[in-house]
Amino acid sequence: MSLLLAITVGVAFAISMYLLTGRELKGIAMGVFLLGHGANLAIIAVSRSPVGRTPPILGPHGLIRGTEADPLPQALILTAIVIGFAVQAFLLSLLVLTWRRTRSLQIDTLRDAVQDEYDQTSHERSLVECTPIHPDQREDLA
Amino acid sequence: MIGPHVIILFTLIPLLAGTLNVALHRWRGAQRVVGTAALAANLALAMAALFTVYRGADEAGGVLVSQMGNWPAPYGITVAVDALSAVMLAVTAAVSFGVYLYALSQLSDRFEGGYFHATYLFLVLGVNWAFVTGDLFNLFVAFEIMLMSSYVLMSAGTTALQMRQTYKYVLLNLFSSMLLVTACGLLYGHLGTLNMAEITHLSMSGQIPARALPAIALLLIVFGSKTAAFPLWYWLPDTYPTMPPAIGGLFAGLLTKVGVYTMMRTFIMMFGADAAVRELVQPIILVSAGGTMFLGVLGAVSSHNVRRILAIHVISQVGYMVLGVGLATELALAATVLYMVQHMIVKSTLFLCCGLIERYAGTDELERLGGLLKRDAWLAALFFIAALSLAGLPPLSGFFGKLLLLVESLRMRGVIGYTLATLAVVTSLLTLLSMLKIWSFAFWSPAPAGVERSPRPLRRGVGLIVIGAMVLLALSVGLGADYYMKVARVAARGVLDPRSYVSAVLGPVVTAPAPEALADAGGEAQP
Repeated sequence: MSLLLAITVGVAFAISMYLLTGRELKGIAMGVFLLGHGANLAIIAVSRSPVGRTPPILGPHGLIRGTEADPLPQALILTAIVIGFAVQAFLLSLLVLTWRRTRSLQIDTLRDAVQDEYDQTSHERSLVECTPIHPDQREDLA
Repeated sequence: MIGPHVIILFTLIPLLAGTLNVALHRWRGAQRVVGTAALAANLALAMAALFTVYRGADEAGGVLVSQMGNWPAPYGITVAVDALSAVMLAVTAAVSFGVYLYALSQLSDRFEGGYFHATYLFLVLGVNWAFVTGDLFNLFVAFEIMLMSSYVLMSAGTTALQMRQTYKYVLLNLFSSMLLVTACGLLYGHLGTLNMAEITHLSMSGQIPARALPAIALLLIVFGSKTAAFPLWYWLPDTYPTMPPAIGGLFAGLLTKVGVYTMMRTFIMMFGADAAVRELVQPIILVSAGGTMFLGVLGAVSSHNVRRILAIHVISQVGYMVLGVGLATELALAATVLYMVQHMIVKSTLFLCCGLIERYAGTDELERLGGLLKRDAWLAALFFIAALSLAGLPPLSGFFGKLLLLVESLRMRGVIGYTLATLAVVTSLLTLLSMLKIWSFAFWSPAPAGVERSPRPLRRGVGLIVIGAMVLLALSVGLGADYYMKVARVAARGVLDPRSYVSAVLGPVVTAPAPEALADAGGEAQP
């Protein structure tokens, strides 16, 4: 079982590395998601026998010393999954924004869009957009 | 003086205020009031905590500990504030308060219109949490909150440039976060605990198994990349300059320093007593420190716009702190803390100055700046002091930290020690050079056409008052270095000899003898 889990973790990490190095944003996003799953599986894989310790569950007669699985890694994984959801939601909404702006999800197109931005509106424009504009300057920019 | 359970407010205040601001996101005035009140309360609380911890440092009260839900230590969630945490919390509170006031006066309506206020408070929540948490997994959660807020703040501008850099920042940080989860899982498998105090106890009693080393090395990679240490800094130089200076100031002041803090917590306090870990980690940290300092400053010297110079300087300055962590003597760690305090203040101040410079010229490219000395003498004076503080000219604040780090690396002797000392000096000179480059281009040279008649920035007065207050704070670090150093030494002693931390968290346990580095009075020799 441990071997199977270890191999799964390895495969998940390998695939997500491959996806992360791609040039396509959807693939990169999938790579990130898969990496999260790989990390969670890794926690399960190593948490089967916290060396020489019993899980901190109190029964009627003190610590339970049976074959119960350690609940702590599962709590960790649940938390990690929830955080992973938030990250996925953010990343996907970033993808949607990118699509709306550039009509493409290729990294190269995004780079071209950056180049266009430099050419068309000049670097100053993107700087000024983030800072308040003085009334006198508003007409200059329009 | 505050009781131990008050420290949970460090997370509750920004959490509740941030949530309230989400609900209030249509009413800007109300959000501003809530945000300012929350950050002011946070500042007051941090000062109280620092005072309490420093006062109690000699007795048992030096570490404030609260166990969530009253579960005993290794099982429940521990929240603990020792001197190091208290110092970091106090500086964070001061910087985030100042930058917030500046941001209120300088950010555009469009930027402030979204969820800026809520996100800002959530960022402070993440940073505070990272400083108060007592276990590694909560550290991961704190990092995630901090980073998630920073992603949102970064991507708030929708220019294609910002979007592209946001991807770089988000993906690289997500990657290292995933490594952190994996490392936490592996460590739990090997050690059976993630509680910092218990891991410290294990390492002091020599119970860290050799097979845990890969997981610890993984931690080094993660924290190195959060710190932006060589060679893991690749995410920083392109991303920070795309942000509005007010946000950039916050990021540059706080985020990488959280990384340095966790490095101190992990490799000095938790695993510092374990010889195998020290032998593995220390040379890597030292080499990385040298590279971070020197290569970082080379990047800054070769840049030609203000934001980029300041952003890359973050890396080079972090190198000094990593150097202190690598040297790991009491004096070096105290110097690191002192340096970190002054750096957080000064670096944010410089970014805020950069914001006003841009408002005059409409650009931050050095060739197109000029004549600001005549236009705005106050801004020029404040920038000058802050820039020289960063470069470390005596008696300004950067000097003492650098001097002590230099002395400590010379004491280390050997090729590595002397090389590091040389690099530190050269880096310092080049820092001065690049700061003077900004000074001479933006302030001293004659104004290029168009800049003379550009209007003064809106609400320039508020900006200048904030910058002035922060410069005063930075000056106090330099002129009152003695007092700051006393606190820094307490903080350094706390991580180097964590017995009081361990017994405060775990209750009385069998304490191991003091670590070697402390035993030989003042940490003269290196282990």
